This record gives sequence, structure tokens and C-alpha cells, in this order.
Amino acid sequence: MSTPVKRVIEYTFLILLASIFIFPMIWMIASSMKPEGDIYVDMGTIQSFFPSVNPSEWFQTYQDLFARFDVLKYVFNSVMYAVIVTAGSIVVNAMAGYAFAKFNFTGKKFLFGLLLSLLIVPMETLIITQFTVAHELGILNTRLAVVLPMLANMLFIYLFRNFFKAVPDEIIESVQLDGANYWTIFWKIILPMSKPAIATVGTLSFIASWNDYLWPLMVLTDTEKFPLQVAITNINSTPPVYTNQVMAILTLSTIPLIIVYIVAQKYLLQGLGGSGTGIK
Amino acid sequence: MKKFNSSMNLPAYLFLSPALVLMGLFLIIPALMAIYYAFTDYYLLTPDNKQFVGLANFIEIFNDPIFLESLKNIVLFVVCVIPIQIGAALGLALLINKNRKGNIFFKIAYFAPVVLSLVVISVLWLYLLNPSEGLINVLLEKVGIDPQPFLSSPKQALYTIVFVSAWQGAGYQMLIFLAGLQNIPGSVYEASKIDGANKWQNFIHITLPLLRPTTLLIMITTFIAAFKLIIQPMVMTQGGPMNSTMTPVYYIYQSGFSDRLIGYSSAMTVVFGVVIGLITIVQNKLSKGDD
Repeated sequence: MSTPVKRVIEYTFLILLASIFIFPMIWMIASSMKPEGDIYVDMGTIQSFFPSVNPSEWFQTYQDLFARFDVLKYVFNSVMYAVIVTAGSIVVNAMAGYAFAKFNFTGKKFLFGLLLSLLIVPMETLIITQFTVAHELGILNTRLAVVLPMLANMLFIYLFRNFFKAVPDEIIESVQLDGANYWTIFWKIILPMSKPAIATVGTLSFIASWNDYLWPLMVLTDTEKFPLQVAITNINSTPPVYTNQVMAILTLSTIPLIIVYIVAQKYLLQGLGGSGTGIK
Repeated sequence: MKKFNSSMNLPAYLFLSPALVLMGLFLIIPALMAIYYAFTDYYLLTPDNKQFVGLANFIEIFNDPIFLESLKNIVLFVVCVIPIQIGAALGLALLINKNRKGNIFFKIAYFAPVVLSLVVISVLWLYLLNPSEGLINVLLEKVGIDPQPFLSSPKQALYTIVFVSAWQGAGYQMLIFLAGLQNIPGSVYEASKIDGANKWQNFIHITLPLLRPTTLLIMITTFIAAFKLIIQPMVMTQGGPMNSTMTPVYYIYQSGFSDRLIGYSSAMTVVFGVVIGLITIVQNKLSKGDD
């Protein structure tokens, strides 16, 4: 076979494959930018993958959606939960990682082994007794309940510990001679040196929190505290259900993640086996 | 060598305390509670009435057709999704691992579904797969295929969820495979070229064996995640039709949260948790014995 023919076949195959992966997203965005009736009129034609021919209708769905639901509140909630989880997870896990990397203390080996072995406990199967704990603590239906269980993560502690181990002891000792205490060393010396580890843990925590669904669904009863993921299924089951409005909330909830994936792409692969979406 | 210094105990535990308290509250205590409640008849609305019931819950769950069905479903799901998703990821990585014009576009396209959350893909595919007016059936009809029931058929629902899950996750593993492929030095291929090996021989004798550690890592993480399937059936089928997409974690949620049978639900947590824990240990042993 001549090379140009081979090339055409190769590219046709790659494009067909690509369309399998992206057509749902394109249909989702296109459907959010046209009147409800047009979605079903266009269905199956090439127009079903394009927004309304009339640009003035493009954002009408979004206006209707914002008029029916307090979408800004949901966006605000999701951003707030994700930012708190991201910052909290960096601080909590970096502190623990620092202790394991740079301190000698009684029970260190035992504790580290114990925490590592806890990695085999499948968290998702514990949701019911986690809920009972939240109930006992009296934090059900509070924003605190949404973020607290997402902070400590042994994988992230492990990641920080390995990173901190590479920091030479001499640096720490020399600052110690100048009279700096452990806390100052941690904040002023160790953390600023650890940007790659912070970025990895931060990215993975943000995504995990943004996508979290089951736990906030269980602990929250006030709709005004709902994050976007819970709001999605709520909107999808509040009659009258309009397909274009559902696609609009799906699109809105995805935009921040697209930004995160673009900005932080090089940190995505470093926390393998960590939290994230679905089956990875 | 550092000398043991007991004056470091206090600062060390102060640094550890937030993580220890949180892991204690939301991991260790819930795990211990589940083990304890599994032997009681704890009903959420009558917390003061819980009684020790021995092994009754365990006997009951293994006579519960829904729990048994959920075990069967999850095994079927894992057995299907692992080869499909990992195979697709490897195939995509091999396709992309090349210098060609527009490659970055294809890479982004194959990765795109990863950016969507599980709730988003579940709701989106619910609309796409709508039996009467969904896009998929409309397109199938155009090429002469009869409309399919998909999620509303007990025979097709689980396989549909397999497809949607693999479609969403493959792009991420493609990136991991791609990193693995790019770690294989080009000189290895050049050497085999001199020996007269063709592309297929290269793939079987060089690429695959060198990708073994990457493949094992992906297998382990996918395996465990797949066992914990809940969001897709919860949003797309509520476990139906006829419990054909009920999964153990979903059933734990339903009996513990919706039916408030904490004791009963805890017994399933213990059984299923032990199973996943054992699988994890075996897999870790296997992958360590490998190198």
C-alpha cells in the first residue's frame, strides 16, 4: 500500500476513535445551548452536535436554569469545599509526612506500618459507620461534615514523607542552630521547598473533592449546602425536567475541572492509586 | 546515625496529631464499629435497643438473594471492565505513541471523558441511552439496527455500565501506559531491528514485557476501584432492573442508610471489606514477587 493511502486510513481510524470519546461531551454542550424542542428535532442529525443556529438563544437555557435554581450557590459551595479540602489536605498530610521523615519518636515504625496497612481498608464500604460517627459528633448537615473525612490520606502522607526525606538534614540543623523551632522550619523551610509534592497532593485533592457525591449526599439535608455534584441529581429529579437545563448544569460543573486538568496536567500521574474519578 | 532522642516525641506527635485524629475518626473507628455492629441487631431509630445476635447477620446475608446477586454482578462487572478498559488504554497509548501531525488533538480527545465526574457521565449517558428518544438509538436506527433497551433491560444494563465506565476511565490509563512506553529506550528497538524483528515481534517480545510493571500497577488500582462500583448504578439504574446492576457497596448503602439496618449492613461491610482486603494483599504480593 502506498504511503498516502495508508495515511488516510490511519487518520480516518484515529478520527473515528476520537469521535467515540468526545461526541457525548459535544452533544452535552450543544444541547445546553439550544431550546428544549430543538434538541429532539435535531436528534441524530449533524445539527444535534451544534448549538442553536440563532446565537441569541445560546445562553437562554443558562438564564432559565439560574432563574429556577440557585446555581451560583452550588458553584460557590463546590469551590469552597474544594479549596478547603485542598488546603487542609496539604497541611494535614504534609505535617504528618514531615514527622515520619525527619523525627525519631517512640512507636514510629509501628505507626507507619499500621497506617500503611490501613490502605487496604476499602473506605467506601465504611460509609454507614462513618455516617454514625458524623452523627455522634453532631456535625450532620454542616459544611464541616463534608470536608473533614477528606483531609487525612495515607497515600499523600507517604508522598510527602518520601519528598521530605530527600531534604538534607544539614539544612534543617543549620536553621535549628539559628534558633528556629520545628514549626518555623516546617513553614519557612520545608514547605516552600516542596512545591511539586504540594502541587500533586493539591491537584488530586481538589479533583476528589469536586467530584465527591455520595458523602455530601448522605450528610447534607439543606439544599443550600449542596455541592454541584449533588445539585446535578437534584435538578435532574425536580420536575419539570428539561434536557437542555440538565445539560447546562452538567457543562457548568465540568468547566472548573477542565481548567484544573489543563493547569495541573503534569502532576496528574504522580499520585497513582490515589483518589479521583471512577475506575482508575 | 541519629541518636534516639525522646525530646522529639512531643513535637513529632504534635505534627502527626491532625492526621491521626482524622484517620481515627473516619477510618479506624468506623472500621471497628462496623465489626462490632455486625454482631448486633442495631437499628438506627432504636439505638438503645441493640442486642448481641452472634452470627445471625452473617447467616442472613448469605441467604439474602439481593446480596448474592450483588456479589455475582460485581464479579461479572470486574471480569468485563478490566480487560476492556485496560486493553483500550493500551491500544490508545500505542496509537498515540508516535510523532505525527495532530497527535496532540487525538491525545486530548481520548482523554476528554476523564475530565467528567462520575455523576456527570452517569446523567449524560442516561440521556444518550434513553430507549425511545436517546441519541444512541436514533443513530443506531439510521444504520439499520433495532433500538436497544440498554439500561432498562436486565440483560443489557450491567454491560452498558461496563461500557460507560471503561469509556470514562481508559484515557487516564492511556496516559500511564504512554509514560511507560516512553521509558523504553529507543536503542532496544534498534537492536532488534538489526536482528530482523518485525513490528509484531517487537510488540510481543519487547514492548509487552517491558510494560509489565506498568500493567500490573494499572491492574491493581483498577481492580480495587471496580469492586467498589456504586455511583453509576445509583444514578443510572438504582440497582435495577430486577437488581441486575445492584452492587455490594450500593446494597450496603441501601440497607444501612435507606433501610437504617446498621447491624445488617455492617455484616456486609465486614464480609465485603475482608474480601477486598485479601484481594489487595494477594495482588501486592504477586506484583512484588514479580521483580
